Amino acid sequence: MGEAFSIHCRRFLMFFLLASLMLLPAAAFAAASVPVHDGTQLAWWVWMILLFGFTFLLGIIAVVAGVGGGVLFVPIVSSFFPFHIDFVRGAGLLVALSGALSAGSPLLRKGLANLKLALSMALIGSASSIAGAMVGLAMPEKTIQLLLGLTIMFISFVMYRSKNSAYPVIDKPDALSKTLQIYGVYFDEHLKKDINWQIHLTPVGLALFILIGFMAGMFGLGAGFANVPVFNLILGVPLRVAVATSVFVLSINDTAAAWVYLHKGAVLPLIAVPSIAGMMIGTKIGAKLLTRIHTNMVRRIVIALLAVAGLRALLKGLGI
Amino acid sequence: MSMKEAVHADRVQLAYASVLSVAATLGMVLIAVGYLLYVFDILPSLASAADIAAHWHLKASELHKAVQVPSGWNWIGELGRGDVLSYASIIYLSGATIFCLAFIVPAFIREKNFIYTVLTILQVCILVFAAAGIVSGGH
Repeated sequence: MGEAFSIHCRRFLMFFLLASLMLLPAAAFAAASVPVHDGTQLAWWVWMILLFGFTFLLGIIAVVAGVGGGVLFVPIVSSFFPFHIDFVRGAGLLVALSGALSAGSPLLRKGLANLKLALSMALIGSASSIAGAMVGLAMPEKTIQLLLGLTIMFISFVMYRSKNSAYPVIDKPDALSKTLQIYGVYFDEHLKKDINWQIHLTPVGLALFILIGFMAGMFGLGAGFANVPVFNLILGVPLRVAVATSVFVLSINDTAAAWVYLHKGAVLPLIAVPSIAGMMIGTKIGAKLLTRIHTNMVRRIVIALLAVAGLRALLKGLGI
Repeated sequence: MSMKEAVHADRVQLAYASVLSVAATLGMVLIAVGYLLYVFDILPSLASAADIAAHWHLKASELHKAVQVPSGWNWIGELGRGDVLSYASIIYLSGATIFCLAFIVPAFIREKNFIYTVLTILQVCILVFAAAGIVSGGH
């Protein structure tokens, strides 16, 4: 009976989360397009409450689906809220940055995030994210929407196709990784033992981080979706270390890009703070729910949602 | 530092984790306090939330022509205002990583780790240049 109750609870939780995720954008969209009775738009504080509620749900879903909040935030908020995409990208970077800052410390302490791996990749990534942010803010809105749409649809395709490797075996580390002292050991909770790791193809990884940094800065995305496969599938970093180190890299790359947005006036505290707060609280609750809900199902829905948001941005960019 | 932490993370990494923990917690408190001071009009603002909302559909450069809002470092002389304090808390959050990285440079020097001393100093320089507006299009 206890088990049956637990299954019902899980089903209810899943239904609630997914229904909320589907309904909130619709509510926001309706509110944006329908003037209230006196001919004016909704009061600003209603938007703030909607934004907080929406990012709170995004935070839960992001953790459960195993993606960073930033990649969901920009395409969805720019599609369904009345803010210019400049401010959505600025807020998106700060959402990803604050998430990375608050998660960073425990991940570093446990040895899951690796400082040397992160510093090596972030140096080049942060420089290119500054360039990406400058190019992105100089582009016309329609071009940005078009490119964002294409990028988000590509990301949803990569997420759909990607097969991570939990424990890649690297027999021979490359010379550059040895020079940079990139190797480590972490305690694997699943295997209940210490896992040693080392990497290869470091120059290829560095080259890819130029591209990832540029894209993150240009679109205001967290870019964890790209960091993790490069760490895991190309460099051969164990999946848990790849995910944790990606968080740490975000805190450096997004800091660099965030300053460009701050100097260009593309950060409004009115929009950024409720987004950060909603996402942070949602992420904490999502982490608690992680073991109770069907993550694969949520992940599939998030991929579909990303594809729809990408298509919507693409159509906006094409003026349709 | 626990034995387990020491096995899985080196001393510099643990130092970074400690300073990051404090910086991140302080950042979250500051953005919450700054925002409440702003949206509840506890302190006067350069532009009210309603003014911002009337223009938030505009491109950043156009919004700045229409309303006076803090950007880059142009807010320094206006610290008594709610929107400026809220903005300053975001500035703090964006500077936290620079502070944490600068904190571990002496630790790398003590370890005589030349490569990471240089890499970390270069990283700090890139971020400081971005923060100063030198490589980020500031005014």
